Amino acid sequence: MTEIALKELLYKIADDQLILGHRNSEWTGLGPLLEEDIAFSSMAQDKVGQSHAFYAILHELGESEPDTIAFMRNADQFHNCQLVELPNGEYDFSLIRHFLFDHAELIRFQMLAESSYEPLSLLAKKLQGEVRYHVMHANTWIKQLGSATDESIKRLQGSLDFALPYALGIFELSPHESSLIDNKIFAGEDALKARWLESIEKVISETQLNLPDATVASPVLGGRTGLHTEHLQPLVEEMSEVFKIDPSADW
Amino acid sequence: MKSLDPRVNRLNLPDNWSSELEKEELDQLATYEVFVQPKEGKPYQHEGIVHASNEDMAFVFAKEQFSRRNTCTGLWVCATQNVMVSELTEAGKSVYEDVSDQNTSQSNGNDKFEVFHLLKRGKQHIHMGRVEAANYDEALIHAKAAFSEGKPALNVWIVKSGHIFHSTLEDVVIWHTLPEKKFRDAIAYKAMDKIKKFKEEQAAS
Repeated sequence: MTEIALKELLYKIADDQLILGHRNSEWTGLGPLLEEDIAFSSMAQDKVGQSHAFYAILHELGESEPDTIAFMRNADQFHNCQLVELPNGEYDFSLIRHFLFDHAELIRFQMLAESSYEPLSLLAKKLQGEVRYHVMHANTWIKQLGSATDESIKRLQGSLDFALPYALGIFELSPHESSLIDNKIFAGEDALKARWLESIEKVISETQLNLPDATVASPVLGGRTGLHTEHLQPLVEEMSEVFKIDPSADW
Repeated sequence: MKSLDPRVNRLNLPDNWSSELEKEELDQLATYEVFVQPKEGKPYQHEGIVHASNEDMAFVFAKEQFSRRNTCTGLWVCATQNVMVSELTEAGKSVYEDVSDQNTSQSNGNDKFEVFHLLKRGKQHIHMGRVEAANYDEALIHAKAAFSEGKPALNVWIVKSGHIFHSTLEDVVIWHTLPEKKFRDAIAYKAMDKIKKFKEEQAAS
């Protein structure tokens, strides 16, 4: 029972990272400034690398090889939240998604650093530094553009209003919440969500943006159980194109 | 014509767009100088420049431009306009040969200044240490007393300590996984070996 709960947790973490990493990498070469292009691409690479580390733990637990898990599933077999699969849109949306997601990820890793499942606590501790930078990067942009010009504030606000219900989908409850909590593997999505709200509120309050009321917004759910938007399948196909042509390809 | 890159095709760029997107002159952001500490105990060294709207942005850009490979334990950024630069000497002459030994200034200000030396043409400026002085000229005189032993300084940069935006001790973890990111180095791909092997296979078949 615990193993099912653990695997479900690992899959959703890894799938979020792989899909968002791939999405963010779509900005490579197209970013708004050369420096930002490189920074955003580097972080996308970090996310894909992190997903590999979580798939490796799953492999230890008897699941397929990381490459097979990453490239040989259809969209409805992915456990990522819908937030991460949405198309990049314009840069304001990509920044807001990065901000909302990475705050949750940093807190999730801080919680997992205390996990009773040692491979997970070790990995979470190791990766915290990378995500600390990702959050620093997101906060710097949100603070900058969230108080800059009418256009930048309006754009970020529009993206924030649009993205928040999807972001709440990060915390979709698992049927195994109590098993994870009782076994001290993970303190649970509700605890994470409460800390996340506090964390993003703190940054938003330093800008001219308004955080929509998260108690009123209805979360976009379903991603954790394989219910996805039309945008995920094309992403998965593009991502796995090389692997499907030649599984032994290497560079 | 279509691009080989699906992301570019998805943008549906107009065929003729050059006239609409002409850039204004001087539309670039200000520049910041970036200094990296490669290892604990090693001096900070100049790595390059980023464009940014303020020092916070300069810092987040600098982290990925100039500390995404090898190892790193600290990062400084400083607006280029706040870096005071000495003459560049020729033929291995030290900048300090033309600097007075005596501080004639009557002031007793005690601003802190960081001193950087260029020790070899084409290499980076390296942090030598800190001096206290009332102004940049006085800082150069103090720097002569403190740092002119050893290899000649071919060029000296002086920056007020307060003008440097630096990483904190808690930030050091952002570089912890760097040693595992060998995939960011071209050498990790052993491209020449692979090309050689490919050619041998081609020749054999």
